[in-house]
Amino acid sequence: MNRKSLYALGIVGLALVAGIVSVLSSRTTWFSESPPIEVLPNLDLQFKDIPQSGNTFFADRKSLRDPVEGTVARGATTYLLGQGDIELAETNNVDPEIEKSAFVLSRGQNRFNVFCSPCHNYDAKGESIVAVRGEWAGIPNLTRPETSALSNSRIFHIISAGQNLMPSYADKISPIDRWTIIYYLRSLQNNNAQ
Amino acid sequence: MFSRQFDKAVKVGGAVAGATGAAIFLIVYFSMWNDNADVGYRPQQPVPFSHKMHVGTLQISCQYCHAGVESSAHSPIPSTQTCMNCHTLVKAESPKLKVVRESFESGQPIEWVRIHKLPDYAHFNHSRHIRAQIDCKSCHGPIEEMGVVSQFKPLSMGWCIDCHRKPESGIIGARPISGVFTGRMHNVKNLKDSAYIFTSIEAQIGKSTPMISPSYGQMISPLPAHVVAGIPHPKSAGIGPETCSTCHY
Repeated sequence: MNRKSLYALGIVGLALVAGIVSVLSSRTTWFSESPPIEVLPNLDLQFKDIPQSGNTFFADRKSLRDPVEGTVARGATTYLLGQGDIELAETNNVDPEIEKSAFVLSRGQNRFNVFCSPCHNYDAKGESIVAVRGEWAGIPNLTRPETSALSNSRIFHIISAGQNLMPSYADKISPIDRWTIIYYLRSLQNNNAQ
Repeated sequence: MFSRQFDKAVKVGGAVAGATGAAIFLIVYFSMWNDNADVGYRPQQPVPFSHKMHVGTLQISCQYCHAGVESSAHSPIPSTQTCMNCHTLVKAESPKLKVVRESFESGQPIEWVRIHKLPDYAHFNHSRHIRAQIDCKSCHGPIEEMGVVSQFKPLSMGWCIDCHRKPESGIIGARPISGVFTGRMHNVKNLKDSAYIFTSIEAQIGKSTPMISPSYGQMISPLPAHVVAGIPHPKSAGIGPETCSTCHY
């Protein structure tokens, strides 16, 4: 083997190594449907339940167990009224009358924009992207006088129990956040009335 | 001692074997990195759910479905009820939603395939990071552009530590789409009018002092010399994020 071919071999080898290093350490993403390889899976998968995992121990394969019937988890809140209990809602839902500080209103804005705006739109007028795209009719304009006339307790009831096509949001929005949403909605209505 | 031909064969063979061995070693070595092994994991889900459609086109906030991410360690996978909030009306007959409807009727949850998986001995708290107004995109990538979601960041310990030592390299400040900040998506100008005190990540970083690289036995970050009004800086927690027991407990 002469010197020239040795050099050539060396250059090819170096190029190969440089190529592998540059490709593998780069930000190229290789998509794969198979789970990642665990080289040393020592304690990565322990014999315990982690939230939102499957579990072969139970017949229904749920790690998160359903609450025992007739019980309420500690600290959990449930909304007991049904959609029809409108009179009860007026007396049961006592407005905590939190001070409408900037923080409270912006919290209400945040929650409104996250949970209400997909249908009611950011300005509460009901022409959201979802509504327009789906050609939904009947999403109410929340700034109209009929809605403005509803009491805070009644709106709390609607958020918590649902109304017509709107499902209950009691599981998603905490009671205190529901009140902040109402305060924010009032400010939207006031802005619109002026 | 050996013939010239044999000598040459040994030399060439050795060189080839060495090069092949080096190549195999490098490939295996780099393949073990989370950057290559984990990033890009894109399993087929039981329902062909498109984040691109729901987040990108319809602009539904992350938190509408992943509600509770700001108050719990885990980012909850939405219940079937969440899907049915809309899909009792929208595309109610779609064959793609057959699994969802069956799950809703039977009460048996949909078995989504987990993509982001930490080892069971490492604990990550979503709520802590959401409250620090770190956008979902910082770790999960541009979800609103992903038809099928894939893992975007390696989620290795080194990656966590890198970001905690040099947040400006990794953090994307709360964007409207995530709902981390105000949840408002269209009129970004209004973000500044909002009542939240908002300090941009750049401004926070500007005020912070660089952390000295810790030596052995000094794994706790120095207490913050800076105070950022309103928003906790990733480095300014009471005990530093580099205490082992912050994540391994």
